[in-house]
Amino acid sequence: MNRPMPTHTHFFEDLLNDPMNYLVEASMDKGKIPIGYTCSYVPEVLLSVDPLIPIRIRAPGVLSTEIADIYLSSVICSYTRSVLEMAMDDQYGFLKGWVFAASCDHMRRLYDNMKYLNQADFIHILDVPHRHGNDSFSWYADELKMLLDNISSHHEIRFDQAALSRAIQDHNDFSALLTSIGDMRKPKNPPLSGTEFQAITLSSLVAPRQSILPKIQEFKESLSRQEGISDYRARLLIVGGQMDNLGYIRTIESTGGLVVADHLCTGSIPRLAPIRMDEDPVTAIAAHYLNRISCPRMMEAFDSRVDDIMKSIEEYRVDGVIIEFIKFCDTWGIESSLLANTLRKKGVPVLCLEREYQMTGEGQIKTRIQAFIESMGK
Amino acid sequence: MPSSNGRYYAGCDIGSTTGKAVILDETRIVSSAIIPAEIDPEQTARKVLSKACEKINGLNGTDDFSYLVGTGYGRNEVPFANDNVSEISCHALGVHACDPSIKTIVDIGGQDVKGISINEDGSILEFAMNDKCAAGTGRFLEMMSKIFRMDLEAFSNLSLEAKHTIPVTSQCSVFAETEVISLLSKRKPPSEIAAGIQASVAKRSFTLLKRVGIRPKLTVTGGCSKNKGLLVALQKRLRMDITPLAEDPQLMGALGAAIMARRKAGSISQLTINR
Repeated sequence: MNRPMPTHTHFFEDLLNDPMNYLVEASMDKGKIPIGYTCSYVPEVLLSVDPLIPIRIRAPGVLSTEIADIYLSSVICSYTRSVLEMAMDDQYGFLKGWVFAASCDHMRRLYDNMKYLNQADFIHILDVPHRHGNDSFSWYADELKMLLDNISSHHEIRFDQAALSRAIQDHNDFSALLTSIGDMRKPKNPPLSGTEFQAITLSSLVAPRQSILPKIQEFKESLSRQEGISDYRARLLIVGGQMDNLGYIRTIESTGGLVVADHLCTGSIPRLAPIRMDEDPVTAIAAHYLNRISCPRMMEAFDSRVDDIMKSIEEYRVDGVIIEFIKFCDTWGIESSLLANTLRKKGVPVLCLEREYQMTGEGQIKTRIQAFIESMGK
Repeated sequence: MPSSNGRYYAGCDIGSTTGKAVILDETRIVSSAIIPAEIDPEQTARKVLSKACEKINGLNGTDDFSYLVGTGYGRNEVPFANDNVSEISCHALGVHACDPSIKTIVDIGGQDVKGISINEDGSILEFAMNDKCAAGTGRFLEMMSKIFRMDLEAFSNLSLEAKHTIPVTSQCSVFAETEVISLLSKRKPPSEIAAGIQASVAKRSFTLLKRVGIRPKLTVTGGCSKNKGLLVALQKRLRMDITPLAEDPQLMGALGAAIMARRKAGSISQLTINR
């Protein structure tokens, strides 16, 4: 599948080249406060209460991690290494705070090192339970309140009910727009590729929403004039953790696969689900982030994750599933094996793609994807 | 060598170390060639196909093929190919044509090692391959043989002389080199160290094979299939015989690509591989 990127997509792609983009810079000039965060269990909606803007931490362009390797053990994933390397190179100096979640051991070590080595202006870690249930929910809601108190006192911001409700409304409106674009991938000949969709979802994680909203609306309108994609060999669903480099999906699509849906923590399903507006905002936010089906760090939720994936397979007419994970990721490493076996038993073709955080070994990835598509008889 | 109807189908496998080509007519293999890889994959493809064409009267170049399929890591760099297919599918197809009773393949090439499990019809059932690391590949063995100041054939023969095997535990080429130099400096028998190196590569292949499932019969393809010492080590590790092929196992990728070319061109005649 060879398809030139529409002009609008270049706008989104350009925002992903560096840790800070010009839209963040412009917002800071207007008094906005960028806060970095590392995990889907850090509620980005809380960090979008005016004047805060949430920035999902990526490490674009890191080629080697010599400095981070000094501080991190050899079994820490390359995402963690790349972020620490970039931090040690002062590439995140524009951030006015960091919020981590103790989502895995790797993130804990990143937090430790960032606190010790980088001495950020504001740094906070959320303790996120591994189980669902009332006690876990109360714990997590209390954690969010502590986060609000700390940010509030540090940056002198008022998180009143109205401000929180506005942030939720903005989140829901924005998510509805992205979801409506994602839904366009369901038909046989969708007007956009997986690479184009990922460019939008990723840019929405690293740029102020209000700044990119008009461009996303323009992009959506342009899709109605776009010819549907028909020169693909197989429709693919991609499942996994942090994947914030366009290179992977672009490589997958260069071999004839069309990524029509994703269950990535930096992607669309279930990240873009709406947050309830009819209850206390912090309670609603806690429920949304803790209970949505996403990361295998949550114990006892494997069957729900499988059901959710099977639902997407049907809705998006998926031919095969790629489970991607970064080397040394304990969480996805274990999940991938169980998930692959379970999906295969249900008759779903699966490819497990272990990779590095940065795009490397393109030739070998292409061979794997192409062989996977061929193995489906496509 | 005249063809029944003048139609020829070619497969061109551009690997990291060698270029391979196989030409078929409607019923059999009519020519093949293997050359060392050039820096430019397109050059490799042109040279190896030209060499294979030399053996057939009236076949002057790539334009004379009814269909040409490229495979191998350089498959996208064969501009005159009609199509490209992954080497995993091609090795499966090539081996299946040689011996349909084979169910498992270890393809050990210059920079890749792959475990492939195949279906009854020669398509892929499951596969696993190494990542970007060179451990367990031909490149690793090449580096190790240099420490012994030998070519690969001599190194392979040396490993066959060993009465015991000294384990070489490092999978990383850099660390393994240090380990081997250290063993040699301790005056350990070179043949036993060489056998240890072969065993470490066999172990690496074994772990990949475990991921796809090992079903008899099993064969080895790729350039490393010519390393007898490695085959012995692999048989020991697998506790299973390695089934030899009637055709050169290094040509399996190119043969599979040529078979794919026949299929894509619509040929339905029976292909016979000398068994």
